[in-house]
Amino acid sequence: MLFNSLEFLLFLPTVFVLYWFVFKKSLRVQNLLVIVASYIFYGWWDWRFLFLIAFSTLLDFYVGQEIHKHLDDKKKAKFWLWVSVICNIGLLGFFKYYNFFVDSFVDSFAAAGYQIKSVWTLRIILPVGISFYTFQTMSYSFDIYYKKLEPTRNFISFAAFVAFFPQLVAGPIERASNLLGQINTRRIFTYEQATSGLKLILWGFFKKMVIADSLAPIVDDIFANYSDYPASTLILGVCLFSFQVYGDFSGYTDIAIGTAKLFGIELMSNFKYPNFSRNMAEYWQRWHISLSTWFRHYIYIPLGGSRVSKLKSIRNICVIFLVSGLWHGANWTFVVWGGIHALLYIPVFLMGRNRLYSDNVIGEHTWLPSVKEVFQVLLTFILVTFSRIFFRSPSISEAFGYIDRITTDFRYEPYMHPMGYRMLDFFVLIAVFTTYEYLIRKDERSPFKFKNKFVRLSLYVLVILSILLFYDDGVNRSFIYFQF
Amino acid sequence: MKKFILKSGLYIVLILLLLEGLVRIFHLYTEDPPRFIDEYGVEKRMPNRKGYAVTGNRNQNFSKFSINKAGFNSYREFEPTADTYEVALVGDSFIEGFHQDYDTSIGKRVEEKLGDVQVLKYGYAGYDFANQMHLVHAYADDFEMIDEIILYMNYKNDLGRGEYEPNYARINMLSSTLFKIRDNIKLLSYGSKIGIVEPLKKLAQGGNAFTDTNDAYKNNALEEDDEAKQKAKDDEYIDNFRSLIRLYGLDKSKTAILLDSRTTSVRFLDFLNEKGIRYIDFAERFRQSNQPTNLIYDLHWNSHGRELISEEIAAYILKQRK
Repeated sequence: MLFNSLEFLLFLPTVFVLYWFVFKKSLRVQNLLVIVASYIFYGWWDWRFLFLIAFSTLLDFYVGQEIHKHLDDKKKAKFWLWVSVICNIGLLGFFKYYNFFVDSFVDSFAAAGYQIKSVWTLRIILPVGISFYTFQTMSYSFDIYYKKLEPTRNFISFAAFVAFFPQLVAGPIERASNLLGQINTRRIFTYEQATSGLKLILWGFFKKMVIADSLAPIVDDIFANYSDYPASTLILGVCLFSFQVYGDFSGYTDIAIGTAKLFGIELMSNFKYPNFSRNMAEYWQRWHISLSTWFRHYIYIPLGGSRVSKLKSIRNICVIFLVSGLWHGANWTFVVWGGIHALLYIPVFLMGRNRLYSDNVIGEHTWLPSVKEVFQVLLTFILVTFSRIFFRSPSISEAFGYIDRITTDFRYEPYMHPMGYRMLDFFVLIAVFTTYEYLIRKDERSPFKFKNKFVRLSLYVLVILSILLFYDDGVNRSFIYFQF
Repeated sequence: MKKFILKSGLYIVLILLLLEGLVRIFHLYTEDPPRFIDEYGVEKRMPNRKGYAVTGNRNQNFSKFSINKAGFNSYREFEPTADTYEVALVGDSFIEGFHQDYDTSIGKRVEEKLGDVQVLKYGYAGYDFANQMHLVHAYADDFEMIDEIILYMNYKNDLGRGEYEPNYARINMLSSTLFKIRDNIKLLSYGSKIGIVEPLKKLAQGGNAFTDTNDAYKNNALEEDDEAKQKAKDDEYIDNFRSLIRLYGLDKSKTAILLDSRTTSVRFLDFLNEKGIRYIDFAERFRQSNQPTNLIYDLHWNSHGRELISEEIAAYILKQRK
């Protein structure tokens, strides 16, 4: 079920009413409702894959108990941890990476001059959200293993934690220490939390339906026909993709966090205005935070993190970025994308500037950013945007083809929208959006934090009006990160 | 919870009211002048209405319309006389011309090119060929005095039936309270125009509102007609055309069909040639155009397209008058 669909418009109030009015008295029944609602939410897409969530839930619930039982026996605890990792990664590997590895194997032989006819490739559907919920359940087992969490004895709570519908298919990837604790505790409805949820949902819809969906046809056109366009258009295409993917994913996250708030649950922040990052380290503290936190906790730190030699630290950085790239999709383009980010991150790390901006934002004490900050933000945006050529291109060769056109056909030509819309509308839209995000840059969870209620009301009206002004019936309304 | 529900309700009402105001101020909605069926069974607009037709979410195309006493969008009243050279241009929304100011219509352009000719533009969105031929038949007295009749044909859509039946049910539906409410709440009218209320509409009509968009696209995808299918279709259309001629007549001496041979079947064109029915083919002029001929947001002719059509018609009239 998509957030931006009529089904969800009917589904959400129904679940809300049942949750707060019908099943309010029993936490257990409330959690059961969360499970049923979440399974309906997921099953709307394809009910056959519900068994994967159920399997992952059962597995990690059991593994969690076993790890805890054997915490004194490191070997056994480790064994059970590996059971969780192998099974979850196995699921992920089969559904997401099987064909990729088979094709890569065949291609590598072909490159060496041996033609193998692949008979192993299977027609596999990628279950939506598999990368998200498998990582979430694994985090539970990891946390128990690292003694950061006591396993829950309540299977219903655990199943609700794994399947909680607002964040089931595209995150944020929650850690049990945050979400499970809330699910195990009686929720109290508060006006402030619910209204803050509604505001986030509205802002999320704006980012998705206005920013991402209206830019999608332009980006699709430019990337599909890059060989026909000059450098100016290709640069425009990848810049707009930067805004599209941000609007799409952070819009989804805002709707997810907002929806969870309506049920008295606080999810972690996933985006903190990454477009205003001043270096690559800050960017990764602001973009897809739940994933980077996951990698830091469960891969980077166990490998030694930055407390080992510089060389090993660099190795660790490379590992997490390459794995992060592969996590995004079964394509070498994502691995290259991850590699580029590693290469961009390492100099910041070596200069010791990777934690420089972890507790402040651009223009921390001033209205406007300094010239230096503007330069830093622009440079970071350009570097991140460049890497997205690989993220967006269907293959490595096309990504290089795209870059090649930029460097060899360096000329300007005005770009005509594929559906004939006036491009100025979109430039103004992005300028207004970026300016507004700058104004609210200090709090990613309160997009309408203005004291004057008339200002707030005007903003709500403007946001909804923009949704209408840029609504396009013909756009594929699915979210980009569903494919991951 | 009570506070949350009450305040949310209040905010929703306030937001809707403000949006309604903004949609009205910026005239984002389009106007659709009321329709009716007259005593001759001809479907048309209520006379003497003026307003604005709007295309696109952001007023991308904004034009004035003016419905004359006869019930058609035209700057001119239809009063054919024996001593004036009149041309009747009959057709669907392409001829009705809600996509351009009524005072720059195809008819006006033809008149400007020819000087002493009056063009009576009987255009109405939704007309097929049965509507058109019935109209000429129903208004026989007026058409007696008209010197040239040009019927616009969109081959793929216009020959689906061999007899005209006034659609009272549709007209009654459009003038029902529900539709009047929709037309008066401009926000709803706007939402309906841009398609955002489409799923709700489908649900209200008992249809499946949850069809996946991609599936919908697949269903809408044009299939390549194979030869047998195409022939069957052509035969059906030609039969329907024959039936329309039998029922309503066709004065070959002063009637021509305006069509685009790129989208018209060769069999049908052969049929017209065989029967000695004249047609004005604008395909070549459109093909040679180095500017777009259609609007961005739909397939209606833009200003340039209309100019080419008027040139084609003017050339035809000149030829006929010689």
